[in-house]
Amino acid sequence: MAKESDILKIVKEDILEVVGRKNKRTPLKFMKLEVTVSHSFVSKAIKELEEEGLVKVSSEKRPWKEYIQLTKEGQVRANVIIKKHSVLEKYFKERRSKEEAIEATNILEHYISTEVIDTIKKLSTFKKKGIPLTEFKQEEGLIANINLNIGLFERVISMGIYPGEKIRITDKIPNGIIIEIKNKKFALDKDIAKEIKVLEYEKS
Amino acid sequence: MKNLKILLIGQPNVGKSSLLNALVGPRVTVSNYPGTTVEVTKAKKKINNTEIEFVDTPGTYSISDRSEEEKVTERALFEEEADGAIIIADAISLERSLYMTLQILEAHVPTVLALNFVEDTKKRGIEIDYEKLEKILHIPVIPMNPLTKKGIDKLVDTVLKIKKISKRIFTVKYDDDIERAINKISSQIKKTSIPKRFIALRVLEGDEDFHKYLKDERVIGDAKESLKDHPKVAEDISITRYGTASFIAEKVTQITSLGKEKIGKEKFEEKIDRVLLHKTWGPLTTGLFLFAIFGILLYLGNLIQGVLMSSTEILLSSFGAVEHSIIAMILVQGLTGLAAGVSIALPYVFLFYLLLGLLEDIGLLSRFIVNAERFLKKLGLPGKSFIPLALGLGCTAPATRATRVLSSKKEQFHTASLFAFVPCSSRIAIIMGIVGFYGGIKLAFSVFATLLVAGLIWAFGIKKVIHIKSEPLLLELPPYRKPLVKNVLAKSWIRMKDFVYIVMPLLVIGGIAYGILEILGLTNIIVGPLSPITAWLGLPAVTIIPLAFGFLQKDLTGAMLLSVLGSKISLALTPLQIYTFGIASTIGIPCIIALGMFIKEFGFKKAVALTVSSIIYGLLFAGLVWRIVSIF
Repeated sequence: MAKESDILKIVKEDILEVVGRKNKRTPLKFMKLEVTVSHSFVSKAIKELEEEGLVKVSSEKRPWKEYIQLTKEGQVRANVIIKKHSVLEKYFKERRSKEEAIEATNILEHYISTEVIDTIKKLSTFKKKGIPLTEFKQEEGLIANINLNIGLFERVISMGIYPGEKIRITDKIPNGIIIEIKNKKFALDKDIAKEIKVLEYEKS
Repeated sequence: MKNLKILLIGQPNVGKSSLLNALVGPRVTVSNYPGTTVEVTKAKKKINNTEIEFVDTPGTYSISDRSEEEKVTERALFEEEADGAIIIADAISLERSLYMTLQILEAHVPTVLALNFVEDTKKRGIEIDYEKLEKILHIPVIPMNPLTKKGIDKLVDTVLKIKKISKRIFTVKYDDDIERAINKISSQIKKTSIPKRFIALRVLEGDEDFHKYLKDERVIGDAKESLKDHPKVAEDISITRYGTASFIAEKVTQITSLGKEKIGKEKFEEKIDRVLLHKTWGPLTTGLFLFAIFGILLYLGNLIQGVLMSSTEILLSSFGAVEHSIIAMILVQGLTGLAAGVSIALPYVFLFYLLLGLLEDIGLLSRFIVNAERFLKKLGLPGKSFIPLALGLGCTAPATRATRVLSSKKEQFHTASLFAFVPCSSRIAIIMGIVGFYGGIKLAFSVFATLLVAGLIWAFGIKKVIHIKSEPLLLELPPYRKPLVKNVLAKSWIRMKDFVYIVMPLLVIGGIAYGILEILGLTNIIVGPLSPITAWLGLPAVTIIPLAFGFLQKDLTGAMLLSVLGSKISLALTPLQIYTFGIASTIGIPCIIALGMFIKEFGFKKAVALTVSSIIYGLLFAGLVWRIVSIF
């Protein structure tokens, strides 16, 4: 069972996302949330968001004319959520039909922590762009995708060679390539290395 | 008195054997698990009123049973009926250790997580919140260091209470579709002590060994139906498991500062690696190291051998003088066999394993494997075959067991067939002691060279016939470390055990068998019928006795040759004949003990076929070489 605080968190994120997507002030009555919760939850969530300085609610004489607007900080937060959402959608779209994807994303996004999403994000957005490790010219990069038969795939994964990890090429040897991931060194066969797709590492 | 059985599980180079040492202390007897050499080691320790038996499993990264190491670990997990497991985790790459931890938790094995290399982590400016990790996983997490013994007492205390570890442990949540498939399969599982969820996962991961737990295998098809969006469900499971592991690891680690101290050391190690893995310097240093080991062995081995030989000879002569009954004579033959084993093989084999263990612990062995892989690959062999092949220079029998480090039976057999050309200590003794002593060192080296050529031709031939795709290079290169002498000694002893308990008794039996045949005058029977062989080899007919009966006891080949030809071998045989004898007696599966080992590993038919064909090949080769050389 979800606790009240969890639900509140979901509602708050949902509000930020909906308002953030519209990118302007939104009349409260037109705000269509994706989660269906009681009104009291919504108002409580808005109140908390206001206290946190993420949204501003205009005070009108007539309550149905009230509108909600994101603060600068709120916009930043909303952008993160929207990005997260689209990344997940993309990830699941590869496997499911569109409606199902949107549905699954909605349920999942609030529960998977940003960390796991980060990994998945790297997986889905980078999948196509990677270049084979054997052709990679830079010293450092990010692993985008690994494409091996399941036996080797799991071996490679369990050794810590995982999509999203930073990879450093320390040496090229006649029969393969020496790499370093998280301070661990590996000797990889060229046949394995060419199935590991790598992206240029962008320093943030 | 209570009994506890605890498995030690961890990745390679995570400090498992040091922990075993720290846990049980030096006095304990370390014994080898029968049947497996990719090795399960057991050691017992009494604490308070409980006897804990630790079962040390081979280092693996997962328990998914895709390599022999994983199979052994997995088997230990389910067949040892252990009360729990200690997982040794590497604090430096926590997520990787957690991957296997999550897998073992899926199997519902009560687990204690022992974190090693905590100090190193701190030096790198990384803090791990152990309590948080405990809370997430619901299992005890104990930072420790087996070298300084820090945390060991606490670990033992926790292990004593392992049965009280809560059953409510962390479970990896998979994608909804996968969870549905897990539930579907779980509903069709027979009654067993293994958790249903674990079996379902293993089935989905494509492990056919677990199909036997299903009531109806058709459920797999059903489950796969709902997994249309997961064409690679096994991959998705691994990815999610690792994702969860890295998520947990990130949750509990905090980077406090950038460690500077280690950078210098790492740069230095990188420089060493650049040399050791260099395209020319790498193989060169590997070769030099092997030669140096050989040199040390021949020198020290000879030294020890001299002392042992003279003392056993005194013993034997005093024994032989007492009585001249037939039984005494047979006994003397048995003892001669034993003496040959003890004095030739023992020092040599043990020294060899000791040096190899040192190289392994320092971290050099994995670099050598990488270099050797370049050449082994050309022969159709995986890089890992370097280990059994190198061990073959000690004794063929234990080396045959060591082929289990390779992942397929085909690879194992292919590697093992090369033992026909990798001279073991007894064969090196023939080459050095007979060919070298009576024909000169140059002649001895040309025998070694001939073995190499014959072996290469054989290997290429086999590669052409049985087309096997050898496993690609995928090897972790551990950081260089100072070797722990205690560990190295223990490891060498484990490897020696095969030799002492299997090979040595058989050496005695071989000696006795030869003694009986000789007393009965049966040895001469074969001289006539087998004279075509000696004729082909251009050797005196009586030399068939050492050639044939050497198979019973290789170490006696020299003594047999002396007894049939008299002590003036250099007069009885020309240098070319000595050389031919050297080749004919060293190519081929060397002895009945090795044959026995082969039967055990590969079955009767394959073992006999290989032995016979390798010996025929050796005889043909020796005869051909002799003819070619005599043309010039």
